[in-house]
Amino acid sequence: MRRLAVASLVVILAAGCAEETPSGSTGTASTGDIVIGAVLDITGAGATLGGPEKQTLELLAEQANAAGGVNGRKIKLIIEDNQSTEDGAAKATTKLISQDKADIILGASRTGPSLAMGGIVESGKIPMISLAANAKIVQGRSWVFKTAQNDSVVLQNIVDYAAAKGWKKLGLVRDASGFGEGVAEMLNELGKAQGVSVVRTEKFAPDATEFTAQMVNIRDAGADANLIWGIPPAAGLAQKSYRQLGIKAPVMQSHGVGNQAFLDTAADSANGVVLPLGRLVIADQLPADDPQKQVLTTFQKDFTAKYGQGPSTFAGHAYDAFKLAVDAFAKVGTDKQKVRDHLEQVKGFVGVSGTFTMTPQDHSGLGKDALAIVTVENAGWKLQDVNRD
Amino acid sequence: MTDLIQFVVAGLAQGGAYALIAIGFVSIFTVSGVINLAQGEFAALAGLTGVSAIGAGLPLPIALAVAIVVVVAVSVATERLAIRPVKKMTTLTSIILTLGVSTVIKAAMLLIWGPQGHTMPAFTAGDLNLGGVSIRGQELWILATCALVGGAVWWFYERTLLGKALRACAEQPVAARLVGISPKNATMLAFVVAGVTGAVAGVVTSPVYSSAWDYGLTLGLKGFVAATLGGLLSIRGAIAGGLLLGVLENLVAGYVATGLRDAVAFVVLIVLLLARPGGLAKHAEARV
Repeated sequence: MRRLAVASLVVILAAGCAEETPSGSTGTASTGDIVIGAVLDITGAGATLGGPEKQTLELLAEQANAAGGVNGRKIKLIIEDNQSTEDGAAKATTKLISQDKADIILGASRTGPSLAMGGIVESGKIPMISLAANAKIVQGRSWVFKTAQNDSVVLQNIVDYAAAKGWKKLGLVRDASGFGEGVAEMLNELGKAQGVSVVRTEKFAPDATEFTAQMVNIRDAGADANLIWGIPPAAGLAQKSYRQLGIKAPVMQSHGVGNQAFLDTAADSANGVVLPLGRLVIADQLPADDPQKQVLTTFQKDFTAKYGQGPSTFAGHAYDAFKLAVDAFAKVGTDKQKVRDHLEQVKGFVGVSGTFTMTPQDHSGLGKDALAIVTVENAGWKLQDVNRD
Repeated sequence: MTDLIQFVVAGLAQGGAYALIAIGFVSIFTVSGVINLAQGEFAALAGLTGVSAIGAGLPLPIALAVAIVVVVAVSVATERLAIRPVKKMTTLTSIILTLGVSTVIKAAMLLIWGPQGHTMPAFTAGDLNLGGVSIRGQELWILATCALVGGAVWWFYERTLLGKALRACAEQPVAARLVGISPKNATMLAFVVAGVTGAVAGVVTSPVYSSAWDYGLTLGLKGFVAATLGGLLSIRGAIAGGLLLGVLENLVAGYVATGLRDAVAFVVLIVLLLARPGGLAKHAEARV
């Protein structure tokens, strides 16, 4: 018995210590492969985001290499799973920088892990493009950029929509992790001018499955309309619970639910929900002269051809990050300082999540018009307002 | 008042899920003194198998049967490969071993079903609304299943010869062997029972709480706390413990703070182990 215990301990320890040996260093040379490191939420609470993002990066790397690479240099894509945790993201980032000598870091899928990575790339002086929403990710950072629409941009759309509908009092049911942090405060600030404010905030863990407590409290708050701020499957189950408890007030969701997983989890209960969303999922409903139409439909076609299902808006964030990185490499090579400087000056770059114009003050580059107002009808997305002035 | 009833209703349904897991813990522990930490994984595996079976076009009862067969096979394999070869089993050893089993099952589920959660359609469509309190149809299914499965397991252990033989192994292993009961076979039978209850739990809760490769651990730990509330030896205690825990969680989430929901079970466990190590019920030799 004791021998068995000792043996199993040894096995566990051995497995834990068996770290991969460093791969052949490509360094910062201006020839050889370009190493793109990605840290994604492939398992855990962010799985519905990280999965399609991984597929997107693999698809794009394949396409780029098939077309001869970037200035004749092949792209080497290394994807790490952060298991949707902050420490996992930090560990993976350190590995990509020190062992794999990555030229750029893409990721993470969610705000929390992205925040954890920011400090590491900043001190390592490596450019990073996050795929997550919270504006804090790029605040005060000179090496960090992001492709998902800022939550402030999303919230501005929500405030404007609510004000137009005459909803002054909002109830908020939000993700308790980094993604939902500060949403109520920002809503109050943005809504001040139009008299829109948050009257009640309820939180849920990103992996929560039971929402009765939150929804009953939100029902009692009697707001004019409610906003659920989270990602699937939790946001889908919350939507279900909202309808089940018979809450009469209209419900809105965030851009965090732009995928099939939300429609699948929420099923019938999703009908009628209103949300600001990237244009990818409603690309076919856009007018033919929309500036993004071409990019969106091409990506959708390529992705569907390879994986047999349409891409989510999160896949779009990965698309933009990859294209921005490759665009920089093509123009200035892999010198990290030059890549960073180039990314900061990107102007009018038409991507999936919107048209990017970066500045030293704005490392997100997307405005309010990056999102359309979308609703759900018969378990499918329906364009309500294309939202271009 | 409506709120209170609503919290209690949702809590009872969630507690039903914990109770079903707790029954699995008790049915194994009573016979062999083994704590099976993979019990939650049995439920997750059953849920995912059920989702796939329904996705393949099978009707619900067949899907449930498929899930039970798969989980019982895994459960028996666990007993054969991880429990039986150990010469002198202690409860602590069993915890370490089954934790390993749970990791293996989780990894396999991740490989097969991927990282995303899957949801089974509800058994019957529609919710019930009684005076402002909304009851999901599936919640009634969970509670009914809990009563049915709990009753069946209780009847098996308490009223059938085979069940009594199983319990004899736990109480007097030497005497049991003298009268011709094989403790090894008894343990295996107990794992079959636990596999069935775990599988049923996973399938019946999937429409409400979804199923994913990593949902088993929390479910298993909560189920374990529920079983401990009932003293680990009593099926009725396990059911009561599960329901109590579910209701308590929802009341804390509703009236105190939603962030504390998952802490409830573990605070309860600590308090219980310090104050009443034998379970909530008075006498330590509380039976099944």
